[in-house]
Amino acid sequence: MDYLRGEFDLCTGCGSCQLACSNRAAGGYSPRLARLRILSERENLVNRPVVCLQCENPFCLNSCPFEAISRVEETGFVLIDKEKCASCGNCITACPDKMIQFDVHHKADKCDLCEGDPLCVKYCVPGALKLVEKKGAEIK
Amino acid sequence: MSAYMGKLLYINLSDKTSREMDLNPDLAKQFVGGKGFGAKILYDLLPPGCDPLSEQNILMFMPGPVTGTLAPAFRGCVVTKSPLTGTFADSYFGGHFAQEIRYCGYDGLIITGRAAEPSYLYISDGKVEFRTAAGIWGLDTFATVEAIRTDLGDDTVKTACIGPAGEKLVSFALINCEFNRHAGRAGTGAVMGSKNLKAVVLRGSKTVVPADPAGFAAAVDQAYRELVDDETINSFTVDGTAGSIDFANDEQLLPTHNYYNGQFEGASGLNAAAQRKHFWLRNVACAGCPIACGKVGLIKTGRHKLLVSDIVEYETASMVGSNLGISNVREVAYLVKKCDALGLDGMSAGGVAGFAIEAYQKGLITAEDTGGVELKFGDADAVNYLLEVIASRKGLGDLLARGVKAAAAELGGDAVAFAVHVKGLESPAWGPRSVPGMGLALATADRGGCHQRAFPILYECGGEWEGKPVDRLGTKGKGKIVAHLQNYLAALDTLVKCDFGQYGVKDVTYARLLETAVGEKYDVEKLMLLGERVWNQVRLFNLREGFTRADDTLPKRFTNEPLPEGPYAGARVSLEDLSLLLDEYYTARGWDLEGRPTAEKLNQLGLESLPKLINL
Repeated sequence: MDYLRGEFDLCTGCGSCQLACSNRAAGGYSPRLARLRILSERENLVNRPVVCLQCENPFCLNSCPFEAISRVEETGFVLIDKEKCASCGNCITACPDKMIQFDVHHKADKCDLCEGDPLCVKYCVPGALKLVEKKGAEIK
Repeated sequence: MSAYMGKLLYINLSDKTSREMDLNPDLAKQFVGGKGFGAKILYDLLPPGCDPLSEQNILMFMPGPVTGTLAPAFRGCVVTKSPLTGTFADSYFGGHFAQEIRYCGYDGLIITGRAAEPSYLYISDGKVEFRTAAGIWGLDTFATVEAIRTDLGDDTVKTACIGPAGEKLVSFALINCEFNRHAGRAGTGAVMGSKNLKAVVLRGSKTVVPADPAGFAAAVDQAYRELVDDETINSFTVDGTAGSIDFANDEQLLPTHNYYNGQFEGASGLNAAAQRKHFWLRNVACAGCPIACGKVGLIKTGRHKLLVSDIVEYETASMVGSNLGISNVREVAYLVKKCDALGLDGMSAGGVAGFAIEAYQKGLITAEDTGGVELKFGDADAVNYLLEVIASRKGLGDLLARGVKAAAAELGGDAVAFAVHVKGLESPAWGPRSVPGMGLALATADRGGCHQRAFPILYECGGEWEGKPVDRLGTKGKGKIVAHLQNYLAALDTLVKCDFGQYGVKDVTYARLLETAVGEKYDVEKLMLLGERVWNQVRLFNLREGFTRADDTLPKRFTNEPLPEGPYAGARVSLEDLSLLLDEYYTARGWDLEGRPTAEKLNQLGLESLPKLINL
């Protein structure tokens, strides 16, 4: 299972990831509508990408009263069923990384890893965004 | 659908009103955006002879129709009438501010009037607030950004602000576009200060949608490939503009000791290797740019240890470094950051400081004027003193705050001989004495001494033009080269391109990006015609302000004093050479020999009897 990792030391803050993402998510370029964020810290000494980690214990999924959020077993992706979403906003409040927001139809919206081939990674020329494999503890 | 947002936002600070104006389709067709919009709107709205610091002057923030998309690398410009030169002024800035204008739903901001008291504008998705700046007036640019974020409770807003220098109307004050990105040149910050406007703050979430999304996406990918595959672009990614220090020093183009010479013994203290060693930590990019020419870091050692600094760009490393005889890049980084914080254009500040030091050496400025501070080359503390008095306009600073042209006129004596400017704009860090084409480019740049309107150095220093080697020291053919480059770059400045992106992205790709964005057919020929139209429109503005052929000239240091030593010892651009260059240039432009566009040329460009394209 892969997940998205963002690295502050390589991120240049260009936001091309957000532009590519928003174009797919919202049908136009607008970074605030992207499904990932980039923080600017210390006079821009640091740009920190914040991405959906497809958590193993997803607060968004757990806090949804309508079972609109589920995890796909094979891939591990945490996805929102917009038909079932009642726009209550629980998931938005629950996610500590602010990785969920309402889309233009006022439905909860989050990263779906572009079904496995994320555009944000494709346009991250400096290589700050990567798809990496999840590994668990191996203490024997 | 098209990539235009379809609206310009007009703001009058005097009566605290704002309104959205529909974008005139003729303005979009003939002037496209950025510099083009600025050129036409400034001409249409400003009365001739308007005082740049009066409430009548207008201050525009102009993105282009491609700005804010995934296309690499685009930005915005500030357009106004310059208090430093009295000419049309366009000053380009990276960062994220221009993009946010588009996300707010506008193709440009037009600001006029003067606020009754210090204010800032907060524009968020269609809402315009006039807010008090009482608590932030006087703060430096870094503190201003921080205070505004705190005030609004939002650290994602995008801010353009002035520092103390802009508030004090220093003629070369800049507008800071957080962080380390500025509309630096020609005193845009003083215009903002004269309007009592401390900052413009944006928050937008509208989408930019190209006319032909699939075609646009393909053009974006093509532009990406062209950038990633290009050697020059790769060097910007690795070394940023600091990579030019060694080149300029080798070619004897690097200003040293107020342009006395073009080679500096301490150049290796300022170059990319020195900067990397002393503070770089990572690459930084403007919005949507894969080049990432910025290199931010922490100074490792010395009295400025742990200061956060972005790359010391070629221009400021030269103007505040070699031009002032300072070879310690940590000191230069500190001084340049001080310029940024105070809101001074580092290029002009370096030019002014070099002028002041030479004036001191020659006895035109004395210790009495400086309160006992000795002005000498190589002394960072003396420069620090100058920056402080200029930004606060205390004592000698009040004179220097007006720029080298005005300061030299007031000092009198021989001062005009070493006041290095064109039309009042302090020259950039490319001494032209051994590259006369560059001299012509500086003499004819629309906003005064500027290297960004054409950069023939690349052809003069071992390059080819139309398949033939270019004679570096010769004048023949240079007029055509300069006119061509100016037209091309003016076209791209309507989009609004980044100067470095255009080293990689091809002309056909720019045309393709534009046509798929706005849904209007473009090829390279039409792009060139657009650029020529914009260049002529700006010329019409400057002519109306009273500029003539006599103003298309170079400072005495370049025309009268040959390079004293080095590989190009003896080289200069004499007034006779300049006259030949101008004749050829005007002819290539279809202008008369006084530098005025002919009726035939204006007709060809659609500028003859063109009505106003903006009505208030």
